[in-house]
Amino acid sequence: MRDVSFGVTAGGFLTLLGPSGCGKTTLAKLVGGYLTPAAGRVLILGKDVTALPPERRNAGMVFQSYALFPHLSARRNVSFGLEVRGLPYRTCLDRADGMLERVGLTPAERDRKPAALSGGQQQRVALARALVIQPDLLLLDEPFANLDRLLREQLRGELRRLQRENGVTTIMVTHDPEEALAVSDLVGVMNAGRLLQVGPPAEVYHRPRTPFVARALGDANLIDGADLGLSGTVMVRPERVVIGPVASGCLWHWTARAVGRSFLGPDAVVELERAGRPVLLVRVRAADLSATSDIEVGIPTDAAWVIPDTDP
Amino acid sequence: MSRATSYLLASPAGVLVAGLLLGPVVLLVRVSLYEPAGGRGFFVPGTWTGDNFAAATDHAGLRLLGFTAAFGAAVAATAVALGYALALFIRSLGPTARRVAVAAVLLPKLASALVVMFGLRQLLSAAGPVSRGLVALGVVAEPVTLSRNVFAALAGEVYLVLPYAVLVLLIQLGRIDPAWEAAARGLGASRWQAFRRVTLPLSVPGLVLAGQLGLMCGVGAFLGPMLLANPADQTLAVEVHRQAFDRQNWPRAAAGAVVLTLTAAGLGALFALAARRSGGGR
Repeated sequence: MRDVSFGVTAGGFLTLLGPSGCGKTTLAKLVGGYLTPAAGRVLILGKDVTALPPERRNAGMVFQSYALFPHLSARRNVSFGLEVRGLPYRTCLDRADGMLERVGLTPAERDRKPAALSGGQQQRVALARALVIQPDLLLLDEPFANLDRLLREQLRGELRRLQRENGVTTIMVTHDPEEALAVSDLVGVMNAGRLLQVGPPAEVYHRPRTPFVARALGDANLIDGADLGLSGTVMVRPERVVIGPVASGCLWHWTARAVGRSFLGPDAVVELERAGRPVLLVRVRAADLSATSDIEVGIPTDAAWVIPDTDP
Repeated sequence: MSRATSYLLASPAGVLVAGLLLGPVVLLVRVSLYEPAGGRGFFVPGTWTGDNFAAATDHAGLRLLGFTAAFGAAVAATAVALGYALALFIRSLGPTARRVAVAAVLLPKLASALVVMFGLRQLLSAAGPVSRGLVALGVVAEPVTLSRNVFAALAGEVYLVLPYAVLVLLIQLGRIDPAWEAAARGLGASRWQAFRRVTLPLSVPGLVLAGQLGLMCGVGAFLGPMLLANPADQTLAVEVHRQAFDRQNWPRAAAGAVVLTLTAAGLGALFALAARRSGGGR
């Protein structure tokens, strides 16, 4: 890992996005104090914590496996961080109950051991356990990876609400671009131990600095600039490409053959091909799609984002 | 797997248990109830008497039993304490070092227990390296014999039990996800608090099992006391051996063996019960 430098403003939500093995979990562990960097510094609220062990960083972490203590009830799991701070036992349990209520666990569920809770409930307990210690920093390592899609989306919303209410500075690690874009104030895209770009979701999505960043955040058409009379690589998001009669109004437009279609419910993705040219992905409302194979296609000028050709 | 298949698979072990454990135990109990033959044969056939048990549980017999139980408890406690420390250390090693360490722990089991005991006796003798080291360091003026006492016997028995204790505890520790300890630290627990509140309670099933193993082996201790202890400090197992081979009193030896078996089983069961009562083993 090298050339990694980023900051999160207090109360902000930063997500590190990248493929598995890119170093994003390592980075989160460095921030949490579970690993020690060979070089570089970690600062929390302006204080250099690089040499401090995890217990002295006041950073709550939610592990991908949740790492709930199997021998303790949900309530005792949450009160653990308060108990080790030497607070009166009664106070610990009361605060644990309060936090578990906020994440939506019923009193009966709070008495259960982790093995007797569902995946979603375990995730809530893990989150409550990390938040109840009023951390200066909340670290989330793939917190939704073990949940089904519906629950994932629901918990994602709850996490964002809790984080706003709490005002806790948060760093999340994920490989899911949708998740990163949905909850973050800032998204950092990582690859091979490097942080390629950090910015607000809309910025990294629409104005990626490298082709890798463009692809990391979703489907992207990467067109050789020369094809369009431009330099560098031109990135066009599939949903910004237009088809049908309006296409002729675009600066760049042509007729192409539909070689593949995927129906996604409200939308459909069409693969278009012009002789000898790479496939162009187009995402349109499914209702707008005609059955004809020859389609008029156009790229509006403001849909094209030029990525200069620098180092790969 | 069908029920019939599983019975079939269990049958060799069943035959072994029935033929080599239950059968001899029944014979043992029968022998313990014969009248002694006073050196003319093993016992007087056709007789029934409770005298052998009365002799095994008289004042001296009970003292011997008490010493044996205490010795067993000491073996168990020492083996569990040392074994747990060793297992925690081995767990903290890298994969290669861990394999080497486990092999080193098991190595003494490749040698006969007798060889190990005689080795220990040499080590602890007046001419042995420990004694000479103490003289060189000026701790003692004259070479000392460090065996021939109950601590040497304890060391010997612990040596025999320790590899089992370490194995049992390593397996238990292997079931503890390091992420749980990391999570505890992240929540503000010091190294000690994380150990005390997470690692230790989750080790309890292994500690109980290792303790039970140590207790049962320790109560039946024979080689350590026989070869390393003072002849005055002997366990029931050694006394059984004396009755059988020195005095040729087989019924009395059998009665001692029955008492020993009951004691070992009773203590083991009591220990497990106490562990379950205190909430361990979850």
